[in-house]
Amino acid sequence: MAVIAQALHRAGIRPRLRWREAALLVMVGVTLLAGWASLQSHRAGELVLGDLTLPLIYLATLAAVHFAFVMTGRRMDQLLLPTAAMLLGLSLLLMERLPQDLASQSFFGTLLPLAPLQLFWMIIGLSLLGMIAIVVRNDGWLRRYKYSWAALGIALLLLVFIFGDVVGGQRLTLRIGPLAGQPSELLKVILVIFLAGYLAENRALLSVASTRLGPISLPPLPYLAPMVVMWGLALSIILVQRDLGAALLFFLVFLALLYVATQRASYVVLGLALFAAGGLVIYELFPHVRVRVDIWLDPWADPLGAGYQSIRALYAFGRGGVLGTGLGAGLPQVGGTPSIPAIHTDFVFAALAEELGMLGGLAILALYAVIAQRGFRIAAQAADDFRTLLAVGLTLVIVIQAAIIIGGNLRLVPLTGITLPLISYGGSSLLVNSIVVGLLLALSDRGVEPPPPPGGRTGRVARWRRRARRVGGRIEEAVS
Amino acid sequence: MSGNRGPAPIGSSLLRLSLSLLIAYGALAGGLAYWQVAEAQQLSADPRNPLILAAARQAPRGSILDVNGVVLARNVRGGGADPLREYPVPEAAPVVGYRSVIFGTAGLERAYDEQLTGLRSLRPGDEFFRKFRAQPYDPNDLHLSLDSRFQRFAAQALGERHGAVVAIEPSTGRVLAMVSNPTYNPNRVVDPERGRRYVARLRERDDSPLLNRATQGLYVPGSVFKIVTAAAGLGSNAISPSTTYESQPEEYETGFLVQGFRIRDFPRDFQTDHPLDFYEATEVSSNIWFAHAGLDTGAGNLLDWAARFGFGERLPFDLATQPSQVTGGGGPLEGFLDRVELANAAYGQGQVLVTPLQMALVASTIANEGLLMRPKLVDSMHSASGNVTEIRPEAWRQVISPADARIIRDAMQLAVEGEFGQLLAGRAKVPGVPTAGKSGTAQLGGDADPHSWFIGFAPADDPQIAIAVIVEHGGAGAQRAVPMAGNLMEFYLDTSR
Repeated sequence: MAVIAQALHRAGIRPRLRWREAALLVMVGVTLLAGWASLQSHRAGELVLGDLTLPLIYLATLAAVHFAFVMTGRRMDQLLLPTAAMLLGLSLLLMERLPQDLASQSFFGTLLPLAPLQLFWMIIGLSLLGMIAIVVRNDGWLRRYKYSWAALGIALLLLVFIFGDVVGGQRLTLRIGPLAGQPSELLKVILVIFLAGYLAENRALLSVASTRLGPISLPPLPYLAPMVVMWGLALSIILVQRDLGAALLFFLVFLALLYVATQRASYVVLGLALFAAGGLVIYELFPHVRVRVDIWLDPWADPLGAGYQSIRALYAFGRGGVLGTGLGAGLPQVGGTPSIPAIHTDFVFAALAEELGMLGGLAILALYAVIAQRGFRIAAQAADDFRTLLAVGLTLVIVIQAAIIIGGNLRLVPLTGITLPLISYGGSSLLVNSIVVGLLLALSDRGVEPPPPPGGRTGRVARWRRRARRVGGRIEEAVS
Repeated sequence: MSGNRGPAPIGSSLLRLSLSLLIAYGALAGGLAYWQVAEAQQLSADPRNPLILAAARQAPRGSILDVNGVVLARNVRGGGADPLREYPVPEAAPVVGYRSVIFGTAGLERAYDEQLTGLRSLRPGDEFFRKFRAQPYDPNDLHLSLDSRFQRFAAQALGERHGAVVAIEPSTGRVLAMVSNPTYNPNRVVDPERGRRYVARLRERDDSPLLNRATQGLYVPGSVFKIVTAAAGLGSNAISPSTTYESQPEEYETGFLVQGFRIRDFPRDFQTDHPLDFYEATEVSSNIWFAHAGLDTGAGNLLDWAARFGFGERLPFDLATQPSQVTGGGGPLEGFLDRVELANAAYGQGQVLVTPLQMALVASTIANEGLLMRPKLVDSMHSASGNVTEIRPEAWRQVISPADARIIRDAMQLAVEGEFGQLLAGRAKVPGVPTAGKSGTAQLGGDADPHSWFIGFAPADDPQIAIAVIVEHGGAGAQRAVPMAGNLMEFYLDTSR
């Protein structure tokens, strides 16, 4: 034992125990196994554990990530990983419960149906999460090249716009060989990075109201402009692609970050007013938006057509009651197809609420609330404005997206086609949200390097770093 | 930067942001509670809910039985996974309906879908614990008041002719028979192979075989509506049994002129040398007398009393109903266009449109001393677990006083058994039983044959059955509806003794 400890110490590894995280992960494991047993027992008609391959692989991956965190001695937030793990576990349970033919993909000759496929992406996601949390110790590459980031984001979007496949009326998917992904998911994160960087840098200037537009005071236009332009560009392309959920998400995150950075509620009010005005215009101009809003107001007006999904989801909620129908016992099939269309993507919350009941639904809401609380805590304790804003932005990307799709399921807001973070089926969504959680963990590391002092450091590595920075800086200037 | 303080610490706005998030999530939690607790019961009862559709596959559906226990609908082992629904008495289709995987439900199969499937339990707390019960479905068998032999006999009597028959037990409102023709064969609707084609052909036809004419067919009533006018007149004291109109004998020759419109009575083989009173007017079915009576009663009273019978509203019934009307409305005379329309409505023309069920209720009310009983088809429900739910007869309204009802009853008895009445409706009389009723010939204008109507009840002194019969384009009342009604009432009274 002592020999190992010494060897580790010499290599620079200082393990630090993470009790809370370990305990919570054990709870997650027990809960997952209990759910798994409940599902398999219902299917078999007797009390069995069933084939535990999938959950065990998942729990092993979790254990590995936890172990890596412990070994690298990071002092990161200990609640985020278990919370994300619980959500991912629920996802695995649900994907196992749903008909396996809803989605499948073959890799090198093996066909993976729904549950193993989701597990595959989860493992990659968790690995990404772990790597980012451990490796990212320095946020310079995020904060310095904000315009490059923004440009990258727009370029990505344009790539999809030109080369993307149209799936279900939306051009969201980019196909490279056998892999298909949704770059708009990544765009969220890129935009947040850009906004955080820009707002942090210009926060003081933006808080000053120098331009007056009647009763409304605006920040100096030259400083407001790049932000609004960048955001507006992203928004309009998204609207052209008919991804209403992403557009709403971007807008809300933008407003929230602006408010946090400048403290001026008037900007929020102005933004909401513009939203209302823009919303009306869009409602009038775009028929598909009109359909969405109309069936939100009264899905029974078109019960077999546009309103079908929404009505089916409401039935699912009703069936669930307080305790739910039990895993595997709900979701009556209608002629061989699941009772709610898009049940593994847009309506996962309805499916879970039916089978786990209102208590289960509230628990899921609570998990997202925990992510929100931890994220904001990380933001509040961050060393400087950029990290605060970045933490807030990343948290909001998960938490607001969850609120939008859950609200859509519950008919509180019109339905939009975005995924429930960490629970919905979908490789891109899973990977990007894992990256987000990984970045949050990285930001929460209390032992991480403070932001670089203005002068810079010396040494060979530092010289290489400076050279790299110069090249990056020139790209940045060219773009901005 | 003049005088403006720098940006406030970022923490305070963070706090406010988290507060708004909290509110948003609170709203989500509220929404969840709303759909999963507050609205859950209603959502679960919606027939389009896939739970109900799926449950039907798993749980044995209840049967529907007539008053003697004859099966009208039941599940049988089908070829595939879904049980097949069998309808041994296809003549009961307008009442029983069908339950098809493809086409959904109709008739009682639809109205009592929940009870037949047995999903909904009657106590609110049960919903909570349902998931802990091994067998959560408790299907009910429906025991109807319908008599299948009577239903078959009535359907055969109507034969190929289009029309409807509604027979009710006056003291309880129980429906004894309800026939609509043309109708359909529910066994062929639920046939898994040929059902689609059968229904497609049914829908293509002009004569609406899927329509339940008894509850939703709207027809010009003709003279049978005079009973309603009589009730309104007597009830509002505008007329009395001895009311006569001096001008009437003369108007028999010239017609009764109302604002330029001439109302005529048809030539009959009887004397009209004296003004008729109420009894005589009913016996000979005088349009002129009733036109006078209607004008004297007034638009408002006529509409009020008709409303008490149920006109103007969807009759509360297990099956869907169409409201009957006295006038199309919108006119300046309390809805009527003018006195001409009022006068015409009084003897059952004008814009009066009635359903056979409504007219059966009129007859039933008179038979029951003016007390209108709510019409019902289901006597009781027997659940698989042994629970029995009785559905008791329910009094709906006292439409007219018992004294007035007796007056009308006596007049109706004359209309069937009187010296002149016999000539019009004699064949409705049940041999050896005092019978009361009113025939009607509804003029449709143009070349079409008039509808043939009869409403009545027997025995007049202790009514067991009230009936309404309409034969579309059946010619004058005596030709079709009258003898049919007589046969039907005779059959029922013979077989139910």
